[in-house]
Amino acid sequence: MLSPYRVLDLTTERGLLCGQILGDLGADVIQIEPPGGSRARRLGPFFQDDPHLDSSLYWWAYNRNKRSLTLDVRSDAGLAILHRLVESAHFFIESDTPGTLADYGLGYDDLALINPALVYVSISPFGQDGPKAAYADSDLIVLAASGPLMITGDDDRPPLRVSVPQAYLHASAEAAVAALIAHYERQRSGRGQHVDVSAQQAAAMATQSGILAAALNAEEFQRLSGGARVGRFKVQLVWPALDGYVAILYLFGPAFGPFTHRLMAWIYEEGGCDEATRDKNWLTLLSDLFTGQEPMEEYDRLKLVVDAFVRTKTKAELLEQAMARRLLVAPVTTIDEVVESDQLAARDYWRTLGHTELGQAFRYPGAFAKFSRTPIRYRRRPPTVGEHNHEIYVDELGISPEQLADLRRQGVV
Amino acid sequence: MTGELPLSDVKIVDLMWLIAGPAATRVLADYGATVVRIESTRHLDGARTIGPHHDDDPDPEGSGVFGNMNAGKLGLTLDISQPAGREVVLDLVRWADVVTEAFSPKAMRAWSLDYESLRQVKPEIIMLSTCLMGQTGPLAQFAGFGNLAAAVSGFFSLTGWPDRPPAGPFSAYTDYVAPRFTAAAILAALEYRDRTGEGQYIDQSQTESALHFLGPAVLDYTVNRRVQPAVGNRDPNMAPHGVYPAAGEDRWIAIAISTPMQWASLCAVLQQPELLEDERFATVAARRAHHEALDGMIAAWTQKHTAEEAEQRLQAHDIPASAVLGMYDLATEPQLAHRQHFVELDDPRQETTTVEGSRFKLSRTPAQIDRVAPTLGRDNREVLETILGYSAERIAALAAQGILQ
Repeated sequence: MLSPYRVLDLTTERGLLCGQILGDLGADVIQIEPPGGSRARRLGPFFQDDPHLDSSLYWWAYNRNKRSLTLDVRSDAGLAILHRLVESAHFFIESDTPGTLADYGLGYDDLALINPALVYVSISPFGQDGPKAAYADSDLIVLAASGPLMITGDDDRPPLRVSVPQAYLHASAEAAVAALIAHYERQRSGRGQHVDVSAQQAAAMATQSGILAAALNAEEFQRLSGGARVGRFKVQLVWPALDGYVAILYLFGPAFGPFTHRLMAWIYEEGGCDEATRDKNWLTLLSDLFTGQEPMEEYDRLKLVVDAFVRTKTKAELLEQAMARRLLVAPVTTIDEVVESDQLAARDYWRTLGHTELGQAFRYPGAFAKFSRTPIRYRRRPPTVGEHNHEIYVDELGISPEQLADLRRQGVV
Repeated sequence: MTGELPLSDVKIVDLMWLIAGPAATRVLADYGATVVRIESTRHLDGARTIGPHHDDDPDPEGSGVFGNMNAGKLGLTLDISQPAGREVVLDLVRWADVVTEAFSPKAMRAWSLDYESLRQVKPEIIMLSTCLMGQTGPLAQFAGFGNLAAAVSGFFSLTGWPDRPPAGPFSAYTDYVAPRFTAAAILAALEYRDRTGEGQYIDQSQTESALHFLGPAVLDYTVNRRVQPAVGNRDPNMAPHGVYPAAGEDRWIAIAISTPMQWASLCAVLQQPELLEDERFATVAARRAHHEALDGMIAAWTQKHTAEEAEQRLQAHDIPASAVLGMYDLATEPQLAHRQHFVELDDPRQETTTVEGSRFKLSRTPAQIDRVAPTLGRDNREVLETILGYSAERIAALAAQGILQ
């Protein structure tokens, strides 16, 4: 879809996903790395646990459909080359600390002089300006400052993050949307602009609008292990099964009562509860508990009934019955189970990319959406450091092999 | 405003509901797209039942979630289970560039509103379907909400303490990830249609989109056969890395150390320069091996300070640190205020309401967020009369047949 367009991607580990989304959509994405290779290549896990620059699985996860060029943009010769690349580029993406690239002559104002139609995307922890713009940051820090951290985890333990860093992925995916909006506008106006993405604001999405609680004079969300508090109830979401855990929305009322009724019918069929329990009024139970028409102990008893039943079932059995009976039950799936899932196999989700440099091929997460006319193609595995230097410098920019050798000696390339 | 909004010529018929879908079209509305949200009064959008609600009153017209997801859109109430309702949808399709829907996969086919039907009416239409597991496969009809999708797609197993059952991320996590891919897909399809005249159908599985946020863990399994577990707040590349108690009840400070300079600065702030000489803490790997001993020393210092004081003292030394902000704290947080993250809107029912602003800034064509989300049926007249050009008689007849609810 975006095959007519070129992206210069200068992002560090904070912004790689943005360019990859544009690359998946067909754009020609050139990842510009410092001569020693991107910092992101030093992040694990690694292929066979070997911390080689071309073996970082973090790098692999966010750089397919890109080409790699090494260039020292802090040198005069490097800056001149980058300015040449900017002349014909459509997007420029960076994720340095605000102001850093401007110091090297690579700020938005500098590049807009060279190419007024350039869409220049900045991804940063807190945005380009404001009291925290210069804050020292990391995934955990952004999550602390944007809300999701406080409401994740068990209520008797400190706030908790997802073990796989998320904050900059929110920002980078948001940045891809922002870049495409600016691009759409450019198709009409012929003019580029500066896109400024704040990871703090992007990650605040994961509060599910809880961030508005004070403004709306509403109670604030708290952390309850994925569950929720409904009045005086702590609603438990995760339950132990025979071979792991399942998530169950065990709720009452008009929206959820029918699902709960079907779950209790199954438990009854297998002798896990009596008829009276199965036939409780699941539509009104919540209000009955609130008004005291049903004692609180009854809620505790019902939880024990479900708990005892679920412990006798495997995750696969629970999922099968969830599908057959329409229950709000889902297995807490580990990564191996995700990769081996029948659903993803049936949809031909996984994509195998050959790593010729290793003589092996590996499965990657597949297209983020299925397009009927322009399916997402995985055209390139993640590049090795400077893999496309010759192709871009010599074949496309017309730099002679001798000049390229000189640039190498000077440490520019 | 310095010019037209970027998407001012984009017209969307939005049949999505809850959070994941409407969050995507909200962004497009912020930047000028005309979005007609079709709702049924018989099957209320579940987002209207999700808090925070104004004053904690569960009134479906006072949901902050619905308000936040649907600001700037037009609201049409329509019974599309009736043939006359579906005729209205088809007229909107003739007007629109994009149709979005988030029903369970068989619904649109049952109503003859699937892509094959819509392209008969408008060949260049772009249609996007989004649901938890995608339109095909054995789990296509999987019923549920984003929190169940977060469990099925691996996020729960990767969020928790090693000695506890999985805690999971907060609520419907895939609902906060998928909308970016939804919006990017729509924008790319629009740009392609503008160049080629060709529309298409997009089948989005929210699970498949969200798995890109677990990319390194997925590859660790497909490449190394390693199943990553939840590791609390530990990090493979940083130490100390964690959330420490501050003065006060349920107050916390997050600290993340990766470089030697940051470690030296932390030792200085803790007034424990001898730690710098301690072999046990010489490298990230060594500090990871002795993390619990470190945690105790850090907590002894953090507990003596408020989270905000600790943040300021640590950040003054360029140490990555932040108070862990709760929902109320965020309302007055200075950086979000500076970025104008909260937008107050006139609201006939509540006097004013507040929504989140755009999560990014476009320097020349900033977002315009100036209209509160629709109450049920608020824009029926505008949509039917102004957009579709229906006569007053026709509108009255539809109302009389019970179609406009």
